[in-house]
Amino acid sequence: MDRECVLILPRVCEVLAASGSSLPDDTSLEKLLDWFTTITQTGVSLLEACPCLLDLLSNVAFNSTSGPSILSFTLKLAGLIGASEDGFKVLEECSVLGLVFDPRHWQEAGLWEDPCLRIGWIQGLKTILQHSKALRFFVQAGLIEPLLHLQTDSSLFVASAANQMLAHVLLLCESLSSVGCNGTKERDLEQSSLSMETNQNCSGVITKALEYLNKCLVLKETSQLSQRQQILKLLTQLLVQVRTPLLDKLLLTVIDSVEELVTKSCSQLTLPLMDVVLAANSRLSDDHDPKQRIGRLLSLMLSRNNPVDVIQAAAAWLRSRQYDPVHTAHCARVLLLPLDIVTGISLLDENSTAEELRILMTEQLKSKTCFSMICVCLTNIPQITLLAPDCLPCPQRRIVSAVLSLLKLCCGDTSSSSAGCVGVFRFVTGSSKVQKCSMEALSALSKSPEVEILLPEVFKLLTEYLNRPSSDPSVLQKSYQALINWIGVSTDLSCITGLLREDLIQAVRKRACDMRWEARDSTVEFLGHLAEVQSCRTSAGEEREPSNSLLGGCSFTVPLLKEALQDLESYVRASSISALGQTLTLSWQQGAALTQSQVEIVTRLQEILSQDSEGFARRAVVKYFIAWFSSCSSPTSCSLLVQSVPTVLSQGVADLDWEVKLHTLELAELLLDQAFPNPAPPHPYAVMSDQSHRSHTQDKESELLSSLNSLVDRGVISALFCFLVDCDRPVALKACQLLLKLRHTVCPLMVSAADTRVPCELPGWSWVHEIKKIQGVNKDPHTQGGSHIGSEAHGEAVEESTSAEGDSVCVSVCEVLRSLDLDERLSILTQSSDHIYNSPLSLLQDIITASTANSHPNSEPGQEVIVDCY
Amino acid sequence: ELFGAVQISPLSSGYSLGSSNWIIQSHHEKVSYVSGSSLLTTHPQPMDQSSLKNSDVLILTGLTQMPTANPDGMLGEFCSNLAMTIRAGGNVLVPCYSSGVIYDLLECLYQFIESASLGTTPFYFISPVANSSLEFSQIFAEWLCHNKQTKVYLPEPPFPHAELIQTNKLKHYPSIHGDFSSEFRQPCVVFTGHPSLRFGDVVHFMELWGKSNLNTVIFTEPDFSYLDALAPYQPLAMKCVYCPIDTRLNFHQVSKLLKEVQPLNVVCPEQYTQPPVTQSHRSDLMLELQPPPMPYRRCSVLSLPFRRRYERVYILPELANSLVPSEVKAGVSVATVSAVLHSKDNKHTLQSVPKPPPVAPSKKRKRVIEEPPVTLSPKPLLSGAVPLEAFLATLQKQGITEVKVEETAEGHILHLQAEDTLIQLEEDGTHIVCDNNEPLRTTLRDLVLRFLQKL
Repeated sequence: MDRECVLILPRVCEVLAASGSSLPDDTSLEKLLDWFTTITQTGVSLLEACPCLLDLLSNVAFNSTSGPSILSFTLKLAGLIGASEDGFKVLEECSVLGLVFDPRHWQEAGLWEDPCLRIGWIQGLKTILQHSKALRFFVQAGLIEPLLHLQTDSSLFVASAANQMLAHVLLLCESLSSVGCNGTKERDLEQSSLSMETNQNCSGVITKALEYLNKCLVLKETSQLSQRQQILKLLTQLLVQVRTPLLDKLLLTVIDSVEELVTKSCSQLTLPLMDVVLAANSRLSDDHDPKQRIGRLLSLMLSRNNPVDVIQAAAAWLRSRQYDPVHTAHCARVLLLPLDIVTGISLLDENSTAEELRILMTEQLKSKTCFSMICVCLTNIPQITLLAPDCLPCPQRRIVSAVLSLLKLCCGDTSSSSAGCVGVFRFVTGSSKVQKCSMEALSALSKSPEVEILLPEVFKLLTEYLNRPSSDPSVLQKSYQALINWIGVSTDLSCITGLLREDLIQAVRKRACDMRWEARDSTVEFLGHLAEVQSCRTSAGEEREPSNSLLGGCSFTVPLLKEALQDLESYVRASSISALGQTLTLSWQQGAALTQSQVEIVTRLQEILSQDSEGFARRAVVKYFIAWFSSCSSPTSCSLLVQSVPTVLSQGVADLDWEVKLHTLELAELLLDQAFPNPAPPHPYAVMSDQSHRSHTQDKESELLSSLNSLVDRGVISALFCFLVDCDRPVALKACQLLLKLRHTVCPLMVSAADTRVPCELPGWSWVHEIKKIQGVNKDPHTQGGSHIGSEAHGEAVEESTSAEGDSVCVSVCEVLRSLDLDERLSILTQSSDHIYNSPLSLLQDIITASTANSHPNSEPGQEVIVDCY
Repeated sequence: ELFGAVQISPLSSGYSLGSSNWIIQSHHEKVSYVSGSSLLTTHPQPMDQSSLKNSDVLILTGLTQMPTANPDGMLGEFCSNLAMTIRAGGNVLVPCYSSGVIYDLLECLYQFIESASLGTTPFYFISPVANSSLEFSQIFAEWLCHNKQTKVYLPEPPFPHAELIQTNKLKHYPSIHGDFSSEFRQPCVVFTGHPSLRFGDVVHFMELWGKSNLNTVIFTEPDFSYLDALAPYQPLAMKCVYCPIDTRLNFHQVSKLLKEVQPLNVVCPEQYTQPPVTQSHRSDLMLELQPPPMPYRRCSVLSLPFRRRYERVYILPELANSLVPSEVKAGVSVATVSAVLHSKDNKHTLQSVPKPPPVAPSKKRKRVIEEPPVTLSPKPLLSGAVPLEAFLATLQKQGITEVKVEETAEGHILHLQAEDTLIQLEEDGTHIVCDNNEPLRTTLRDLVLRFLQKL
């Protein structure tokens, strides 16, 4: 621990003990507690390191005039100290323990009403309950009763924390009992009497807690619904965490009550009850006694007569990913039933689903609740597609047909659903919610086996949706996604007729001109994604890109995307730039000659980078050049790319958006990697003569020199230096990392004579000042690294090489790389930007300063800034 | 006011400038006539719904022709197709009326032009009344929506087409002859009539552009079948797009409106009471009301389900002054009125009975026939009820003791056995049946009158 902190801490404790009200900034107490927690986590005893904390605890505990936040802090701190057995002993000896954790003490002082204090009590107690002594204290002080009482606290936060605490207590009892059980005969008498006492304590606590749980579950009042939900959540948590024998005991205690709740069929409790049953089912092996009962409860939950409940329960079962062929098959049938009823497409065999449920669900679907039922059914289709064929009541192809039929119903087309439920048509017609869920389900179904045959039908419907005037932008987006997924289903797109293609072209062209920017955005995104879909085979048997096959390729796509570069909405501009990158990637990879259109695109992109007021578009431009550079088979042979890169780098440096700058650095990194590719490791046993070694080194140096000069010419080095002093930390950090990489590559091989041969011109005087500042740090004798040179000399060197114009500075790259202590710079940049202000010392000083300001005679009450952080 | 019988008032229907709903009301009855109305936010003042409340009958007409076509979606479709055609180098023809929806189309295009990079494309509006339509729309601020009204006070033109005209993006001409011919530039967008394509300048453009598949005709008026309209021009190479923009009330909106205004009876065309023939399952495309609406067909005559029961009559002040009201129960006073009822233009007024002119002193002997008719003062009106027990006691005092009382549905019948006389006491009348014994009848009458009030 920092010496200065140790020195200042007693004063802080005095301040905390003395302040009758909370500190202006509550978060300082949380931060202080975090710091103490960090100290204890390192294995240091908190009381040994900071003995003054004990006085603080005593003062606050015996003098209840402190504010609730300080009292809460004290309780948590007591918990932290008492979490170790030594600390616990000290607290016990000085009578602090019993007092701070005695609810009656706080009740008598009238402070228990404050939820802040109750939270402190719960959290402190939870922290302290780590060992058997703490448990003994917990039992002897009778703290289980107030804890149980807090389970239904009026404050939701307190109640929730109390739930967590109860789970913690039970788990502790479980772990301590198991230790006790494992006790060996060799242990001495005292030890064995202790473990016996611990076991008794554990047993008592467990019995009380379980009785309480059971009592809460069987409450008759419907008003206690939220309480029962809370208890069911707790029960789920316990069932997941506890082991036998506590698991058995827990189940034995509550199973009757749970069964009663299951048979009562309270809709609001369906999901928490299902969670309990599922948790129990997953924890029990087949040889467990209650397994069969739990299985029966599960069957009961899954065969309820309320359609909404049974659908929820079935969905919960599928989500839990537990495997039981009977239940899984039943749940799949239940979840497919609404689709079966609405569309009239038979997804289930006649006898598979109880006729009663079908009748009830049909009635329910004629009301507004049909939305939730249909949507639950559709959102679970991805899970259904993953099921084994024997768990499914029908081939997945038929489910696709049903979803298509539902999508048609949503457009008012009933031709394919003549046997469907007419009553539900009026609700689903035009419903964007059902359309979106159906589209998602359709996307998921594209991965199903043997569905290729439906591709033309799916394609036709999706194109119709894209053409529909009333399609919501979000539905359009989902339609495009589904189309991309389905295009990937088959490598043979010959089944898509010319008419369908023409419809798609028409739809895409129209949506590119849509009034709603979201629709335009989805359209250009679609064009980009389509370009990335793997190649397919046409009717003539030739391999073609789906983009070519369906839309006619770049001749259709590129003009549309070029048009979108002018869009008023920046998102659309950004998406069109990305889509252009995706569309042109193949031609870049193939090293195809640039077309006039591509040249125009580059010009336009440079305009966007220099003039666009929105960051999204500018970021996309830099990413376009990154994509171009990285996918280009030979970047150096593409003159336009070579010419454009320096412009992009210089504009990236001048940009105000930190993400643009970061992307510019990614481009710079690509250029660095290209200039200095990782050399193949030399053969470990290779023998090299002195002469050849010398000549090899000279060749290498000249090669490096050439590469470095090329980087300087392209503006990479000046960009890196400028970014190093950027005000955005991630940018400066990345630049520093790249410069270090450059230094490691270049400097060891460069002799001093070469240094001056690589000059680099940097723009602006401000940079020089920054460099001077960085070099000024090197004057500190404590600074690590042997390569530093006195700042004065280098400052002069920089100034001496200043160009006559005065608006740029010429520096020697290697010299600057060596003189800047990049390692030190990296360590500073790696820390968070506020590491100085967030240091423990700063925190302690802040608390003292705040107390001084509060006690200042001139300070008026209510003038302080109150900060609440949650 | 129509012949004094009913008052007829127009209400804003929210559909377009110049459209209105009507209230037809007398003093005690109210009939609302709802024609093409809209709840969407377009250029006119919002629909006045509150004035439709408390109607005895609401006649509902003018619902949307395109219940399944969302106007916003159609507007989007219109713009997309327009931009797509212009980008491809084609022309766009929009057959439309000279007022109404065109204002909204122009406003929508005003916003769309920039985003679709159509800033340099000329828009032409050709109609004999194009200029007046565009200019008049700017001066009826009181009938425009709130935002447009606010603009007027800035002062700024309420419709943005003023700016389009100012910046030469929108040009208007009375016909294709004259200036238009010299200034016409392609590709362009032309708004012209008539939407039926049977007459007007649109016919020329159909012939001019019909042969090129680069051009597009976009139908926005829902009142005409676009297929019928195009029939004479076939074969046609130009693209045809049907984007009916109908902002009138749909069935969902009208159901909410009727729940709000709660008319006692709704009268509507028969078509509204059943789903469209082609979409028989669409129960959402019909009116479902309780009580069911009264449907009507073409030329059918309906008797509306209400009866005129009251009429308002005015009383002149001097006659009112002469009245002597007497209170029959707390807060209710009655008085008899003797007056002359004067009816003219369905207005009724009670006037004082003219007094006979004073007889001028004359030396001539009056002739009998010249004497004015003697106006008899009306008999007092009686009110109140005869209490049976008290009446029997009074009869006994008068020596009539043998009374047999029989209870009937209307009241009581008293049989004075000795006198062989019947007295029927009913809620709204008393009858004394007494043969040839006038003194007894008079006595009994006086006894009855003792219990009644005279007005």
